[in-house]
Amino acid sequence: MARMKFLCDADRCIECNACVTACKNEHEVPWGINRRRVVTINDGKPGERSVSMACMHCTDAPCASVCPVSCFYTTADAVVLHSKDLCIGCGYCFYACPFGAPQYPKTGNFGSRGKMDKCTYCAGGPEADNASAELDKYGRNRLAEGKLPLCAEMCSTKALLAGDGDIIASIYKERVAKRGYGSGAWGWKVAYKETIAI
Amino acid sequence: MTSDTKKVPDRPDESRRTFLRTGLVGATATAIGAGAIATPAAASESDSEKKKARYQETAHVKKYYQTNRY
Repeated sequence: MARMKFLCDADRCIECNACVTACKNEHEVPWGINRRRVVTINDGKPGERSVSMACMHCTDAPCASVCPVSCFYTTADAVVLHSKDLCIGCGYCFYACPFGAPQYPKTGNFGSRGKMDKCTYCAGGPEADNASAELDKYGRNRLAEGKLPLCAEMCSTKALLAGDGDIIASIYKERVAKRGYGSGAWGWKVAYKETIAI
Repeated sequence: MTSDTKKVPDRPDESRRTFLRTGLVGATATAIGAGAIATPAAASESDSEKKKARYQETAHVKKYYQTNRY
């Protein structure tokens, strides 16, 4: 069974934020919520690196572990989804997630946050595929349409990869082998530069 | 000594109570009906249905993989 994964090639990401914009547009994500964001390390300095981040659809998802109402479920494709009908907006998942994926639409008195919203891997939610209720709550279900997440499909530099984990890993491996440097490259020469004699 | 106090009826006007009773029953029925419509289970998929695999290696997906190999 194919396992859905995201992989961001940090050597290709140019921090254009098109993935963020495309996601917001495709799913009609409300103001104040970004299901995806681009994180830049050493911004403005030589050698800066950008990585597009969203829910990483963990195998043993910490958000699901801490949820007091068990609103999370993992599909056979290894996509972590949740039910907004069950969510009570407690915010535990936000604290548990190492990637900051869970988002809340409201900031109000008495901790009222509203229902949690996060990346669905363009796979909707527990409602019927591409029903209006699913569209309203979770956005479009591209996976059911035989497509992949839009953020990855429209990435201009092909930095953001999505799809079957085995296939995108092989694509990334081909790239790294061809480059022979950068993140993900392996071998003694890469790790220790030219200072080591093999 | 004449009294000008209003005449108090022996029995209260029950039509008012009937009106309230009808209103209460109607409101309850409406609430139950609305609840039945708003039940999330009606629109939700079954447990196995919502967890089933949706990924398919369609021509669209294959083309995506191909363009990423460049």
